[in-house]
Amino acid sequence: MWKFLTVFAVLAIANAAENVNPSIINKNVERSIDLNSQLVKITGTITIENTGKQAASSYLIGFERDLQGIVSFIGVQDSQKNPLKISSVAVVGQGTNELFYNVQLRQSIEPGKTTTIIFEIVLTKALTPYPTSITQKEKQLVRYFGNHYFYSPYTTRSQKTEVSVNSRAVESYSKLKPVSQTDSTLSYGPYENIAAFSVDPLTVHYENNAPFLTVTKLERTIEISHWGNIAVEESIEIRHTGAKLKGPFSRYDYQRETTANHHSIRSYRTILPALAHSIYYRDMNGNISTSSVKPRKEYIELELKPRFPLFGGWQSSYVLGYSIPSYPYLFRKSSGEFTLKVRLLDHLFDDMAVDELETRIVLPVGVSDIKVKTPYEVKRLPDGVTYKYLDNIGRTVIRASKTNLVEQHIQDIEITYTWKTHMLLHEPILVSLALFLIFAIVIIYVRLDFSIGKPEHSKKD
Amino acid sequence: MWFSDKKGAQTSTQDLKKKETLLTISILALAAILSFATRLFSVLRFESVIHEFDPYFNYRTTKYLAENGFYAFHNWFDDRAWYPLGRIIGGTIYPGLMLTSVFLFRLGQLLHIDIDIRNVCVFLAPLFSSFTTLITYLLTKEIFDKGAGLTAAAFVAIVPGYISRSVAGSYDNEGIAIFCMLLTYYTWIKAVKTGTVRWGTLAALAYFYMVSSWGGYVFLINLIPLHVLTLMITGRFSHRIYVAYSTLYCVGTILSMQISFVGFQPVQSSEHMLALGVFGLCQILAFVEYLKSKLSSTDFDTLLSFAFSTVGAILAVGLILLSLSGKVAPWTGRFYALLDPSYAKNHIPIIASVSEHQPTAWSSFFFDLHLLAMLLPAGLYLCFKDPTDAKFFLALYGATAVYFAGVMVRLMLVLAPAACALSGAGLSRLLSRFLTPLPTIQRRQRASVANNENRNVVSASFALLSIFILSAYTMHCTWVTSEAYSSPSIVLSAKAHDGSRIIFDDFREAYGWLKSNTPENARIMSWWDYGYQITAMANRTVLVDNNTWNNTHISRVGQAMASGEEKALEIMRELDVDYVLVIFGGLTGYSSDDINKFLWMVRIGGSTEKGKHIHESDYYSPSGEFRVDKEGAPALLNCLMYKMCYYRFGKVHTEGGKPPGWDRVRGAEIGNKDFELDVLEEAYTTEHWLVRIYKVKDLPNRGSL
Repeated sequence: MWKFLTVFAVLAIANAAENVNPSIINKNVERSIDLNSQLVKITGTITIENTGKQAASSYLIGFERDLQGIVSFIGVQDSQKNPLKISSVAVVGQGTNELFYNVQLRQSIEPGKTTTIIFEIVLTKALTPYPTSITQKEKQLVRYFGNHYFYSPYTTRSQKTEVSVNSRAVESYSKLKPVSQTDSTLSYGPYENIAAFSVDPLTVHYENNAPFLTVTKLERTIEISHWGNIAVEESIEIRHTGAKLKGPFSRYDYQRETTANHHSIRSYRTILPALAHSIYYRDMNGNISTSSVKPRKEYIELELKPRFPLFGGWQSSYVLGYSIPSYPYLFRKSSGEFTLKVRLLDHLFDDMAVDELETRIVLPVGVSDIKVKTPYEVKRLPDGVTYKYLDNIGRTVIRASKTNLVEQHIQDIEITYTWKTHMLLHEPILVSLALFLIFAIVIIYVRLDFSIGKPEHSKKD
Repeated sequence: MWFSDKKGAQTSTQDLKKKETLLTISILALAAILSFATRLFSVLRFESVIHEFDPYFNYRTTKYLAENGFYAFHNWFDDRAWYPLGRIIGGTIYPGLMLTSVFLFRLGQLLHIDIDIRNVCVFLAPLFSSFTTLITYLLTKEIFDKGAGLTAAAFVAIVPGYISRSVAGSYDNEGIAIFCMLLTYYTWIKAVKTGTVRWGTLAALAYFYMVSSWGGYVFLINLIPLHVLTLMITGRFSHRIYVAYSTLYCVGTILSMQISFVGFQPVQSSEHMLALGVFGLCQILAFVEYLKSKLSSTDFDTLLSFAFSTVGAILAVGLILLSLSGKVAPWTGRFYALLDPSYAKNHIPIIASVSEHQPTAWSSFFFDLHLLAMLLPAGLYLCFKDPTDAKFFLALYGATAVYFAGVMVRLMLVLAPAACALSGAGLSRLLSRFLTPLPTIQRRQRASVANNENRNVVSASFALLSIFILSAYTMHCTWVTSEAYSSPSIVLSAKAHDGSRIIFDDFREAYGWLKSNTPENARIMSWWDYGYQITAMANRTVLVDNNTWNNTHISRVGQAMASGEEKALEIMRELDVDYVLVIFGGLTGYSSDDINKFLWMVRIGGSTEKGKHIHESDYYSPSGEFRVDKEGAPALLNCLMYKMCYYRFGKVHTEGGKPPGWDRVRGAEIGNKDFELDVLEEAYTTEHWLVRIYKVKDLPNRGSL
């Protein structure tokens, strides 16, 4: 998954509506829909053919109306796995509810030629538990609603779809022939000559006991110290978004339950940078003593157990913090100019879904000329000011927020700023001055006689 | 001590004085640092966390004060406690503690020292213990001498009796109140010695701080008048005392009435009457002295006899009238308990049920004072050997504190500083007697050499002895602190078979669950011990909490716990209960759980009109024992508390070789195993079953007719 990361930039929504190029057709589409986790991951390859007379340089990828708001990530590559630029657009003849992305092809397709692109789409909240509430002993069943056809503004000659679910227990699935089931895979197609914008509802109702854990709110604070340390603190609110727990929770049954494949969440793994140290894991009421740190070669694995197991509808919140040395992240450019590259979002658990992220980056005292470059579109909140130990001048805080994020959004934000090295000594000098002043006052006080007159009587019993 | 003696012909006095100052400062600084450091066991072993029960309430109110400011705090009506009554926080607490921490917190913020309010609260008690060390030095120095002061300071730094309530995290009123009390005593001694209004006013201010921080100020406002009274009786009454006491009483009383919890008590309640009476007596005595100096003796005698008869009669009538009209508040139960240890047990179960209100066992005197218990009489002897006004005070303080400490365990805290001051004086005198620097041996006097050698041997052996007993004291104090007084009680730890440490974090697990997964306005019924923790950590409404002001309400909860399911449901619906929380130690062997407290619930439940049907005897087995196995009383085996604790426990194997459902605290196999709950459902049980939470089921839908 990590290698598949595609850098993409969603530019501002283009004002002009795009026309669908009628001469482009999808010669072949192979789609695979991965329903193993709480996320829906759709990957596929499209062979595009230009049947027109002019070269085509752009291609449109679309989503049906229902997917508005749950598309978390889309990335497109060409056949050499080079990421392609995409931008969200409106399409002539379609309402604004449909979502379209314009893919800028690296090389235009000459008339009569074909090219192949690979796309990856991640949807959150696309799986709905059904039944919506279950008892402790029941299995969790979910439904997926999709489209038998690859939704496209172009005609599709031939297409195939594979749906993989994480268990053989498939309750039901829509059967648009030809369709077959082998183990935990459903194969749809091939379907031939499907018109543009075709929709035919696909449903899969199956057992899914993967953790349905959503981060409802994540506040990530990164504090940079030029003494060589970066402190990261994440304040996290999580919720089990699977089927709600119905009826009592029995500890007795829970302790007897030994199968790992249970819809409740006992623990999960968080991956921290390899150099992380001084890790803490606490909540409002203090340290959470159920966690373990396992250093691996390239990262640190943190096994986190919430204070209590999470069942459907239950939520919890905690704070995770650690420190990392700044040298792999902070680079000195020319005189007094620094570049900071830190992750806007970091790994919390596998197949994570984050509803709301706010990242705050606390820069050192006395920075100027701040330039921020984000890997994808985020909402920049107004900069704040914060005071840490002995700061008499505040520190600038860069704030950014974004909603609906997944693992693919773990990317670096780049901040460039100017900072004078002598500011490092600002606070030690202040403290020394203050101490010096206190001593000076004591020295003066001890040596001078402030009394107006001698006391008249000496104290005696 | 030895260095305070002015000796040494060669060295100039100024040089000596400098050395002495340096030594004093370093000893004091070390003692202060030590007193801070020795209280950090729990922080190092566990984490920086608030301990026990009451501190959680104090922490919660402090946070509120820090966030909302003083006026909001003062007018705070807390709807999270005592549902449906609520509690007016501002008018029912001593705000000194919260104000102190918020002041320190704000000061830190002002200087941009980035420390959060929780850490201020956790470390406040150790900080004030350091201050106490310093103030003990000043007080003892004022009464005896510098050497005594230093010894006392060293003693008080690690005395277990005081550490028990001032370890880091033990964020309670006593943490700062002992400092306030000693500060008041110090300023009072100063006022008595100088007879100035300035020191009298300072004493009043210190007294005000004391009143604002702890209910134990009543001890202080009786001790000082007692001192004055003693001085009057012994003929030591003078203008100095008159000025000091009049200032302290007038200013102090007016100031103390500013605390809304205290209100008009200083002029109404009988606890404060001694102070008022002595104040009146002071005025009369002073007036009489004045008249005496102006009138001839015959005129004076006539006046005196007339005054005695009329004023006496008026006073008596007035007092009776006031008592009858209820203006003079009846003595509160806690105060009776002080005077008569058996009072509470016989009359007020809720007071008797608190372990810290129990009479002190003899062993705990040694446990909490160790060496001081032996040295204290020596100090008392010194007080009477060469009496001064100040020494009288210390003697009185010591004697009364010994009495009160004997009556109530927690007043050991008041005795500890007195014991330190007295023992400090005693030990210091012994040391300076035996370890006086010897004059340089003159060769020409052989006899004197022999004598000196003799003295040398005695000095050396005494030095060895004192080193031994002092290090024994130090070892004991450290051991007690580390073993007995440094457990946060919110996190429990036990040793596993292989020697590793197991942590039971069930309380916070349960509170965390309540906070995250119950409706915002859910009402939680539990025994009152856990009320403060639930409101502070889970932020949910509770029916009763540790501020046990309403006996009937607590009794109602006790009745619910002690009744069968049907009856209990009635009570729970009446009280709008959504969840019920019980503490159960049967799986882990945690002995202070609700089953062990259950008899108190029965007693308190049965102590009011509505709970008349609950009789303690119904819960004992025919042989008169409290048992949970098959022999147990049917009333016990079917009451709500029993069912909630043991629900589904009957199938659990707790110990090898024992049947399932073996209760490890009571050491018995439970008597009622297979039962279902009708009116409740298990909502959550923590990992080690320490806390069990039940949800009160909604009324069932009415079936079709």
